Amino acid sequence: MDILEEIASEVVKGDSDSVERLTTKALSQGVSAEEVLNKGLVEGMDVVSKRFKNNECFIPEVLISAKAMKSGMETLKPLLAKANVKPQGKVIIGTVKGDLHDIGKNIVSMLLQGAGFDVVDLGADVGKEKFLEYAKKENPDILGMSALLTTTMIYMKEVLETIRNASLEKEIKIIIGGAPLTQSYADAIKADGYAPDAASAVDLSKSLLNK
Amino acid sequence: MKSGVIPVLSIDEDTIPRAYEKAIKEVWEKGTSVRTEYDRPGDPPSRDATVIITVRQPFGQPRFHRSFADGLGGLSEYVMEVVHGAHDYWVKPVEEILKGRESKDTRWTYTYHQRLFEYRIEDEVVNQIAYMIDRLSKTSYTRRAQAITWNPKLDPPTDDPPCLQRIWGRLCDDDEGGYVFNMNTHWRSRDLFKAWFENVIALTTLMRKMAEAISSKTGTRVRLGRYADISDSLHIYGSYFREIEGDAEKGIQSFFEKLENRTFEERTWNSEFVKPFFINDGLGKGLRPMLEREKEMPQNVRKAIEKELRLMEKDDYVV
Repeated sequence: MDILEEIASEVVKGDSDSVERLTTKALSQGVSAEEVLNKGLVEGMDVVSKRFKNNECFIPEVLISAKAMKSGMETLKPLLAKANVKPQGKVIIGTVKGDLHDIGKNIVSMLLQGAGFDVVDLGADVGKEKFLEYAKKENPDILGMSALLTTTMIYMKEVLETIRNASLEKEIKIIIGGAPLTQSYADAIKADGYAPDAASAVDLSKSLLNK
Repeated sequence: MKSGVIPVLSIDEDTIPRAYEKAIKEVWEKGTSVRTEYDRPGDPPSRDATVIITVRQPFGQPRFHRSFADGLGGLSEYVMEVVHGAHDYWVKPVEEILKGRESKDTRWTYTYHQRLFEYRIEDEVVNQIAYMIDRLSKTSYTRRAQAITWNPKLDPPTDDPPCLQRIWGRLCDDDEGGYVFNMNTHWRSRDLFKAWFENVIALTTLMRKMAEAISSKTGTRVRLGRYADISDSLHIYGSYFREIEGDAEKGIQSFFEKLENRTFEERTWNSEFVKPFFINDGLGKGLRPMLEREKEMPQNVRKAIEKELRLMEKDDYVV
């Protein structure tokens, strides 16, 4: 097993200390930061993501693997920036105003990062003003919204209209998800996509950006 | 053929994860089909039963099943919500709660902690857990140590009334001159697949806090007895059936295959593994990030969580 396979394997196991140690070791052996990212960390999270999609692992395990990936990413980040390595795409994500449930949104955020996206997580209870502020500031490719309640999901339309009516640098794809949502609701509010679960949100993001 | 009769199931296991797995299996196989207010169009009816679950060793290891809808950091925050009232400040004012579905305020209508520790009645606030501790400390064998959550004025108009209804506790003597604290919790309705486990981790933590408080008050050793968990409607929602049944054509494993394909150790964690994640999961959840993130949390609650954090940092403290 080479060092990149080892990194991927430790990400799958969720061993943060090993991932951090092996990432440093790989860099000291002359492996590029981009290779460590794509063939080590992302490769490992890709395995986790597939297992999750196939119902082969549990949610807390996904998050433990995400933490392991993050520990490697912290070492790589300055090097990736220096080498001008571009992410898969940039996503801003948040649970809509009035809704304090953030579990689903957090898992989507972790899986997107695991797939190589740059994710700006705005947290829970996010108003349209904040979504707009970050849409301008971060210039994302995708804006993701989550809601767990039927009383809060209706706010998504307001955010969507705010973003669509603003003059932004580029067209932002808007995707939605959460327990009470359906494809027909996404169609009704004219969102660009709906994902029924976290793993599908990654596939949806990739397909919207033709990755 | 539909009998129209709700089955009554009884489960008795040593540990929480064993009880959780057994309950899912039993409700799945023996439960009846019933619609719920939360079904989305096209969802099959829920699988449902009245169930009493006994966990003989609430802190028996491994204590944590890996199947729950959150991370370990999120679970520790939920425990703080129930035991220390971390999110009581998210509850909206009574006048908004009374508006029911007309209320535009999307804050919560209750927390278990608020109802148990600060139950509002006739313009008074009653700490029912303090009452239980006092009552049991004074009369160990009392049958009156209980705390309720249901508020007949506030709860009927809301969409999400409390699932937990009542906690009841009793002390029994052991052979060594100490007490054994036994606790029952009674639930109106319960999501077995995605809520039961987290509920039980929080309620058994509260159970231990109560035992410690009684021990401190009486000067007598109090150990934990069995935890009994009684649900009128313990259900598996129709929207979860895909996860439970799997889909062989699409390569999606069923929940039961997932159990079969792993050893019990591979589908659970012990407290020692979980504890660092409870403190800080490295992803923005856990006690330290919670204290950092929730600036509006009242000082007294913050102090209680800081105390909990200091306890957790001790080697011998079991989460």
